[in-house]
Amino acid sequence: MTQTVVKLIDTTLCIGCKACEVACQEWNDQEFTLGTFGGTYQTMPDLAPNFWNLIKFNERETDGGLSWLMSKYQCMHCGDPGCLRACPAPGAIVQAKNGIVDFVSDHCIGCGYCITGCPFDVPRLLPESKKVYKCTLCSDRVAVGLEPACIKSCPTNCLTFGERTEMLRVAETRAGVLKQDGHAQAGVYNPVGVGGTNVLYVLKDASDPAAYGLPADPTIPLSVRLWKGPVKWLGTMLFAGGVLGSFFHYLKFGPKEEEAPEE
Amino acid sequence: MTTGLARYDFAERAIHWLSALSFLYAAFTGLAMWSHKLYWLAGVFGGGNATRFAHPWAGLIFALVLGFMFRRWAGQMRLDREDRVWLRKSHQYAMNQDEGMPEAGRFNAGQKMLFWLQSVAAVALLATGVVLWFPEWMPRFLRLVAISLHPLAAVLAIALIILHIYMGTAVIPGAFRAMIHGRVTSGWVKAHHPKWFRLTLR
Amino acid sequence: MTNGWTDVANADVILVMGGNPAENHPVGFRFVMEARLKRKAKLVCVDPRFTRTAAVADLYVPIRSGTDIAFLGGLIHRAVSTGKYQADYVRQHTNAGFLIQEGFGFADGHFTGWNAEKKSYDKSTWQYELGPDGFAKVDPSLEHPRCVFQLMRQHYARYTAEKVSDICGCTVAEFERAADEILVAHAANKSGTVLYALGWTQHSHAVQLIHAAAMVQLLMGNIGMPGGGVNAQRGHANIQGSTDMGAWNMLPGYLKIPRANLTSLDEYLHANTPKALRPDAMNYWGNTPKFMVSLLKAYYGADATAGNQFGYQWLPKIAEGANHSWAYFFDHMTEGKIDGLISWGMNPVANGPNTKKMLMGLAKLKWMIVAEVFETETAGFWKAKELAEKYYPQAGDAASIQTEVFLLPASCFAEKDGAFVNSSRWLQWKETNLEPPGDAKRDQEIMSRLFLKIRELYEKEGGTAPEPLRMMKWDYATPYAPSLTEVTREVSGRDLSTGKQVSGFGELKDDGSTVSGCWIYSGSYPESGNLMARKGQDDPTGLGLFPNYSWSWPANRRILYNRASLDTAGKPWDETRAPLRWDGLRWKGDVPDYKADAKPSQYGSFVMLPEGVARLFAPELVEGPFPEHYEPAESPVENALHPEVSFNPMAWVIQGAGDQLGVAKDYPYVGISYRLTEHFHYWTKNTAASAQLQSNFFVEVPEALAKEKNIASGDIVRVTSARGKVEGPALVTKRLRPLKISGRTVYHVGLPIHWGFIGRIHGPLINNLTASVYDPNSGTPEYKGFLVNLEKV
Repeated sequence: MTQTVVKLIDTTLCIGCKACEVACQEWNDQEFTLGTFGGTYQTMPDLAPNFWNLIKFNERETDGGLSWLMSKYQCMHCGDPGCLRACPAPGAIVQAKNGIVDFVSDHCIGCGYCITGCPFDVPRLLPESKKVYKCTLCSDRVAVGLEPACIKSCPTNCLTFGERTEMLRVAETRAGVLKQDGHAQAGVYNPVGVGGTNVLYVLKDASDPAAYGLPADPTIPLSVRLWKGPVKWLGTMLFAGGVLGSFFHYLKFGPKEEEAPEE
Repeated sequence: MTTGLARYDFAERAIHWLSALSFLYAAFTGLAMWSHKLYWLAGVFGGGNATRFAHPWAGLIFALVLGFMFRRWAGQMRLDREDRVWLRKSHQYAMNQDEGMPEAGRFNAGQKMLFWLQSVAAVALLATGVVLWFPEWMPRFLRLVAISLHPLAAVLAIALIILHIYMGTAVIPGAFRAMIHGRVTSGWVKAHHPKWFRLTLR
Repeated sequence: MTNGWTDVANADVILVMGGNPAENHPVGFRFVMEARLKRKAKLVCVDPRFTRTAAVADLYVPIRSGTDIAFLGGLIHRAVSTGKYQADYVRQHTNAGFLIQEGFGFADGHFTGWNAEKKSYDKSTWQYELGPDGFAKVDPSLEHPRCVFQLMRQHYARYTAEKVSDICGCTVAEFERAADEILVAHAANKSGTVLYALGWTQHSHAVQLIHAAAMVQLLMGNIGMPGGGVNAQRGHANIQGSTDMGAWNMLPGYLKIPRANLTSLDEYLHANTPKALRPDAMNYWGNTPKFMVSLLKAYYGADATAGNQFGYQWLPKIAEGANHSWAYFFDHMTEGKIDGLISWGMNPVANGPNTKKMLMGLAKLKWMIVAEVFETETAGFWKAKELAEKYYPQAGDAASIQTEVFLLPASCFAEKDGAFVNSSRWLQWKETNLEPPGDAKRDQEIMSRLFLKIRELYEKEGGTAPEPLRMMKWDYATPYAPSLTEVTREVSGRDLSTGKQVSGFGELKDDGSTVSGCWIYSGSYPESGNLMARKGQDDPTGLGLFPNYSWSWPANRRILYNRASLDTAGKPWDETRAPLRWDGLRWKGDVPDYKADAKPSQYGSFVMLPEGVARLFAPELVEGPFPEHYEPAESPVENALHPEVSFNPMAWVIQGAGDQLGVAKDYPYVGISYRLTEHFHYWTKNTAASAQLQSNFFVEVPEALAKEKNIASGDIVRVTSARGKVEGPALVTKRLRPLKISGRTVYHVGLPIHWGFIGRIHGPLINNLTASVYDPNSGTPEYKGFLVNLEKV
C-alpha cells in the first residue's frame, strides 16, 4: 500500500535562512528573478509562478517581549483539496495515493479556478504560458524515494519528511515538549476543514495560526461548494427538464397553428 | 422571396444570429468547464486550452452583440398593462388556449420577458466573466463571488434559451423562417401578433 | 574555534554575542538546535539587534553596540562576587594565583605605565613577580592581594549590574536573567559555549573583548570542555586557512614575521621563543626553532643550510615598529609610497573603512592586478564616478586615472581542489568538479606564472634585493601550475633524511633535516596519505568529535586545551562528557593537548603557554592585561566608568583628509553594519539566486525613531556620517529597541552591507560611512558602532 507522505515544519526551528527557497527553485528549474522590497526580510511579498515556497517574516510584540516569526508558505497538499474541487479540467490536478496534490501542466487550461478554490491562496498563474504552478512536494523526487528539495536543504532540521502517522506522532511529541517548556498553546496545525493537510506545522502558539500567516480555520470556499453543489443540481434539472419538458409539451399540445391562412 | 410581410429586417436578423452563435459557442465551451462529465465538449472545440481561450472571447462578442440588440429592441420590449395580463394567463398560452389571451404586439410578453431576463443574465455573465477571465488581477473576494454567480447566471440563460429554441422552432411554425428570411405571412402575423398587425401593418 | 561546530551540540548554555549564527552560519547553527533539542540547552542572544538568532533564542538581551566588555565584565563581577565560578578549575588551570609586580593598578581609565605624551604604555608593572629561580611566584590560595585573582576581583568590582545596565542599555533584570543562565555553566558538570564573530572582532577594543569572553569561560571551567570554549565563527569558507597561512605580520603557523632589527636567525629565535615561567610548563612554543627552520627549508630547499642560517637573510623583513596593515597601506598609497597592488580574493573598495579613501588610494597606483571570478568594485574602481557619482563626487573621471588595471580571470571553488579550513579548524579536502571556463585559471597557476615571470625579469634585468625571489625553491613537477597535492605534502612536511612524509610536528627538527610549510598543518598528509580527504563518521567518544572525518589542526585535535577537561590528578570534571581519559599509561579519547604518555601531573594543562596554565591576566595585549570597557571611538555618550578616557587609548585612529571622526551633536545615532543570510559579502550580488533573495539595499530604522521622523517602510532615507553617506528605503522595525543610556534614549540604525556599484544588484557601499579606527592588537576596523545621522529624503 502506498503510504501518505508528509512534510513537517517545526516553526520553532526555522531561522529564515531561505535555503529551501533556493533549493525549490533550483530543483524545479525555475528562473531566478529579482525580489521586490516590501518592508520586511521576505524575498518577495507573495508567491509567484516561478516561486513556490516563501518564508514569511512577521514581527509581533508579545507580553514576553518581541517575537519574529518565520514561517514557510507553500502548498499544503490538503486531504480535501479546494483546488481540485474547483478545477474544471479533468486530470489537470491530481491527488496521488501518497497524498501529493500535483498540477499536470499538459492538462491545465489556465482558468485559474484552483487559485480561487484554494483556501490557502497558493497556486499562481503565469500569464505567458497560461498555466498554473505551485509546489509539487517534489513528486518527482518522492517517486524515486528521495525527500523534497526543501527538506534536503534545511540546515536546522526544521523541515522533516516521512510517513503521515509517524510524522503526526513526531509533531504531537514535539508540541508536547514545547508545552512542557512553558508554551501552553503549542500545537500541531493540521486543519480539519480541508480534510487535514499533508504539510503539518508545529506552532508555539497554535491558538493564533494567523501570526504565522496561516488561516485559522480553512475550508473549501462556500462559493466553490455552491457551484459544485446546488448550482450544478439546479442546472441539471433545468436543462434536462427543459429538453424533456419541451418534448412532452410538443407531444401533448403540438404547434400553434395559424387560424386563417392568407391568399 | 419578397412575398409576405416584413417581420425582421436584415440588421435584426444579423444581430440575432450573431448573438445566437456566440451564445451557443460560449454555452457549449462553458458547459465543458462547468462539469467534468461535459468536459468532452472541450474536445469538440479544440481542446481545453482552446476552450479556455475562446470562451471569454465568445462571451465578450455575445455581450457586444446583445448590446446592439438591446439598443434596437429595448424600446419595443416595454411591458404594458396587456402584457401583464398576458403573463398572468401564460399557462393558457402554454396549453395552446390562445383565444383568451390578450392580443400581442410585435413581441408578446413572453418574448419580452425572455429579452429582459437574458439581458440581466448577460450583464451578470459579463461582469463575473471578466473577473474569471483575469483571475491574476482580481481580488479574491470578487473571484469567490464570480465563481458561483457565473454558472448560476449561465444556467438561467441556457434554460431560457432551451425554451426559446423550442418556441421558435417547434411551437410556432414560421418563426424560424421569419428569423432566416425576415418575412412572414399576414395570417401568421394575425395569429401570433394580432395587435402588431392591426396597429402597424394595416 | 577552540572546539568546533559539531561540539556545540554538547553545550548546556550557548551564549551568542557578537555574532548571529542563525543568519550567517545557518549550517553550523544546526548544532545549536541539536543542543537545544537533545540537551535542553538554553540559547542566550545578546545583540543590539533582535536578529534571526534572537528569534529562536530562549533569552534575548539588547545591548548598545560596543559595550560588550561592560556586559562580560559584569558577568565576571557577578561570578566572582557570588561564588559562581568553578574554583578548582580556576586554581589548577589558570594564572589566578600568579603574583603581579608591585605597583600594578588601574585608575582613571588607564593601567599603570601610561605615557600620555607618547600615547603608549610602559608595561613593566604588568609582569609576573619572579622568584630567584626565574619562575613566577604563585599563591595557590588565591588570597595574596597581588595575585591575579584578587586583582581581577578588584578590577571588576566596578561592573555592577546597575553599571552594566547604565552602559549597555539593557535593564538590570535582563542582565541578571542572562547572567543566571550563563553562570549555570560554573558547575563542573555543566558546559557553556560562546559563539562570536565580527560583532566582536570589529571594535576598537575587539581583542580585549574576546579576552573577556575567555576569562568568563575560564571562570566557568569551560575551556577544554566539550560544549565549551570560545568559538569564533569564521565568515569565509577558508578564512581560517588564510589566517593560518600567514598575514602581513605573521609567517605560516603564527610564527612572527622577522623585523629588520633581528639581523640573524639566532636573534630572531631568541626574540620569538618564549621561556617557561613555571617549572611544570611544557612551553610548547619553545619548539619555535624547529618550526622556523623547517619553514625556511620549505622556502629555500637545499640552498638553506646551517652555514647560511637556513636562508634567513633572504627572508624579507619589516622595519622594527613598522605597520603595514590594512589600516595604513591605503594612506601610504595616497601618499604615493606604493606603486602597485595585487588584490586577490579581496575587494578593498567594498571591504575597507571609508570607501572614498580606498578609491583615492587606488587612483594613485601605477598598476593593480585583480584576480577574481567577477569584476569587483576594486577592479572597476575607476568607474566609481560614472556609476555612483552621488556618493563619490570627488572620485576622478576614468580618463584622469592613470592606474593600469589587470583583471585576471580566476576560478571559483568548484573549479579547484585543495582544502578549506573551516571554523572548527578542519582541513576539508575537495576535488575539482569543473574546468575553469574560458581564459580563467586556477589561483596556483596565476600565482606561479606571475612568480616565474617576475623572477625571469629579475634574472635578466637585475633589481634591488632579488634573493627572496631568486632563492625560492620551486621544484614542482609542473612549475607554472603546481598540483595542490604536491604543495600540501610540502606544507605537511617531510623528513629529508628518509624522504618520507612526517607524521606530525613532533618530528620536526631545527637542524635542517625536516621541511614543513606550516607547522600547525604538519601531519595532515603523512605517508599514509591525505588525511584531509577522510570521510569517516565513527565517533568513539560519542561526543561528536569524528576523529576520522577530515583532519583538524593541530595534530587532528578536535578540542583545544582538552587536558583542562580533567583536574590536575587526571579526573574528568564531568564523567559523562570526558574527551580525554588517562589509562595509567596513555591518554585516550581525543588527541590530547598534552604529551601522549605524560602522566596527569607532569605538566601544566595549557602546554602552549609558558605559564603552563591559561591567562586571566594577559600582559602581552597592548592596552592592558585585563579587559576594560572603552566606548567606540565615536560614541553617543560619555564613558560611564571614566569620562576622561572614552575610547581605547591604544586604538589606531587615523585622521586626516576625509578621515574625520564625528560627534553625537551632529550624528546622534549609532550605526551598525552587518551581513544578511542571503548574501556572502560583496560576491553573491553577482549570482542569480542570492541576488533574488535580497535584491534591495535597505536601512533598518527603529519604530520609535521612524515615528519621530515621520518615516514609513519604503520611504527613502539618507544616512550620513563624518565620512560619507548612503541612501535607500527604510525598513521600519521593532527589532531595534531604543536603549536608555544614562537617562537618554540611544537609537541604532541598521546597515546591511551587501550591495555596491558593480554586479546584478546595486546599492550603496556601507563603508562610505565607517571610520578608519582599528583594534591595536589585530588591526581590525571598527565597523560596529559609529555615529550617523538619519534623514528622510
